[in-house]
Amino acid sequence: MTGLMAYVGARLEVVDPLGIIHVSELVKDFRRPKRIKGALGGLRTLVTRESVIKRAVDGIDFTVDEGEFLGYLGPNGAGKSTTIKMMTGILQPTSGKIEVAGIVPWRERQRNALNIGVVFGQKSQLWWDLPLRESLQIIGKLYAIDPARHRANVDWFVELLDLDPFFDTPVRQLSLGQRVRGDLAAAMLPEPRILFLDEPTIGLDVVAKERIRGFLSALNREAGTTVVLTTHDLDDVERLCRRIILIDGGKVTYDGDVESLKSRFVQQRRLVVKLAAGVEWRGVGIPGVAESIGDEAVELAFDPAEIQVSELITAVLADHQLTDVAIVEPELENVVHRIYASAGMA
Amino acid sequence: MSGSALTVRQRLAAYAGLAKIQISAQTIYRSNYLVSLLGLLFKVYLLKEVWVAAYPHSRATMGHGQQISLSAQIAYSTLASVQYFVFNPWTLSGIPERVRNGQVAVDLARPVRYTAQMTFGQAGVMIAGLPFVIVALPFAILVGGAEAPASAGAGLGYAVSLVPAFLITLLTGSIVGITAFWTLETDGTSIIYRMVAQFFAGALVPLWFMPGWLETLASWLPFQATTYTPIAIYMGKSGSVVSTIGLQCVWVVVLWLILRLLAVRALRRVALQGG
Ligand SMILES: Nc1ncnc2c1ncn2[C@@H]1O[C@H](COP(=O)(O)OP(=O)(O)O)[C@@H](O)[C@H]1O
Ligand SMILES: [Mg+2]
Repeated sequence: MTGLMAYVGARLEVVDPLGIIHVSELVKDFRRPKRIKGALGGLRTLVTRESVIKRAVDGIDFTVDEGEFLGYLGPNGAGKSTTIKMMTGILQPTSGKIEVAGIVPWRERQRNALNIGVVFGQKSQLWWDLPLRESLQIIGKLYAIDPARHRANVDWFVELLDLDPFFDTPVRQLSLGQRVRGDLAAAMLPEPRILFLDEPTIGLDVVAKERIRGFLSALNREAGTTVVLTTHDLDDVERLCRRIILIDGGKVTYDGDVESLKSRFVQQRRLVVKLAAGVEWRGVGIPGVAESIGDEAVELAFDPAEIQVSELITAVLADHQLTDVAIVEPELENVVHRIYASAGMA
Repeated sequence: MSGSALTVRQRLAAYAGLAKIQISAQTIYRSNYLVSLLGLLFKVYLLKEVWVAAYPHSRATMGHGQQISLSAQIAYSTLASVQYFVFNPWTLSGIPERVRNGQVAVDLARPVRYTAQMTFGQAGVMIAGLPFVIVALPFAILVGGAEAPASAGAGLGYAVSLVPAFLITLLTGSIVGITAFWTLETDGTSIIYRMVAQFFAGALVPLWFMPGWLETLASWLPFQATTYTPIAIYMGKSGSVVSTIGLQCVWVVVLWLILRLLAVRALRRVALQGG
């Protein structure tokens, strides 16, 4: 744990009470040449220079406090990666304001880079032909990391991410999970205040995901690193994120904690009852309860604010013999799918 | 303190590190180098045979008013082939590949300048070939030929002029590479570039054997400064050594400015239109 203590020690900076990331009325338009179909379409596309504008991010506002673990979610094409690229300074916003640790990223991209770590799931910042060890060495130079701190951090990451078995293997020979672990170490080596993760667990197996979640959670909890995570894996979110922002079509559709999202979007609970052999379903006769009868069980959907669970169970038991009864809480997965579906996205 | 930019010293250390890491990355291509060195020796030998056959019995001929002996010509073509080999590894620049596969996003999230990352990396790739050439040089002289420098000053001038020659090659390659931001694909451009650059560098035929108009054209292009110029200095056929090297340096500055200008536009394009 000495590695951790050293890492945390270095991160004890003045925390800005007004938030570390500020985004307001952020808009990003992409301009693409308009493709003309039909005869000589390719040539006409080149000549006319007409273009179509795609609004990828459409007026987003949020503030992230230092030390938060934010899930930035949305269906494919929602504008997540575009937002992250603006926060890293790679893309310039079309309009709106953006500030990361007091810096406007696109104006001072290199200076902003010293405050942030970035991991793109599909791209690696490691040197393909060389062992992980050498990549971490050069990253020390690129970020001018003090050699003693560099050594301490590398030791800590080797332990926490279990890098030892492949530390001297060329990166091209690593499995995806090993590579992503290497990338996480690379991103966190310079002790950035903020870590951006764009789908870091995509394509990983359960064990690799678990290890990465453990690492992220330790970093956030112990070192106070602010994390912004984009993922399609809602287990990641349930395990790690205290707050989530949902975006769709470039707009924020939800901003709050995971529990309120569940209760806000899914008023319904489900009561699942299994009938004893030979028992016919005769209904409960309570208005507001939706029944769906399956082969194995009957599902009763109801709003707990309107109907008491005990009242419902009593009504069922009055007319039926049961072998089992269970109340199903909403899962984030179902909630998010329902939200996407209602927006016509899924 | 977080957020303060790297000092000049730290930047230089970072760039040197990028060059160094490319040098070590190239070691996995050792066998490629060895095979292509055989190719180099073969080229040196064939060029020698061509010059022996082309030369008159007197073993001397005139090129632009100077007497060029057969042995001098063979020494030229040997040195030119070897030099061209070191300066032109199989990739001209790392930029096109990194633009195509989106790695450019990773490069842009670094706290050091993009073009410097790329050029220092490429410098490392070029330097990695050097030890192989040192091994091959005696063999090249054996199958080709060599002459001592015209004077001690000419020898020194040659060594000095290799530095701007190296930089010019690096910069022209990077300029071709950075066009990938607009075209994505630079394979075609690279082939044309290699042909034009090799010819106008004097790596196949020295400028003194080019017809007047071609020599004039060559002298207005930067390529001759990469191969012909250093060897002409070595052989005492360049005129004033100092002003020749000065002219090379002017090319370095001009090409560097062109690269910076293109890089600013390329990164602006990325910032506005995405990678
Ligand atoms: N460079 C680009 N040029 C044109 N359109 C783009 C570009 N990058 C992204 N887009 C479009 O912007 C929208 C948002 O993309 P993105 O931010 O990558 O979504 P997400 O990461 O949420 O899946 C998509 O419709 C995508 O096609
Ligand atoms: Mg994305």
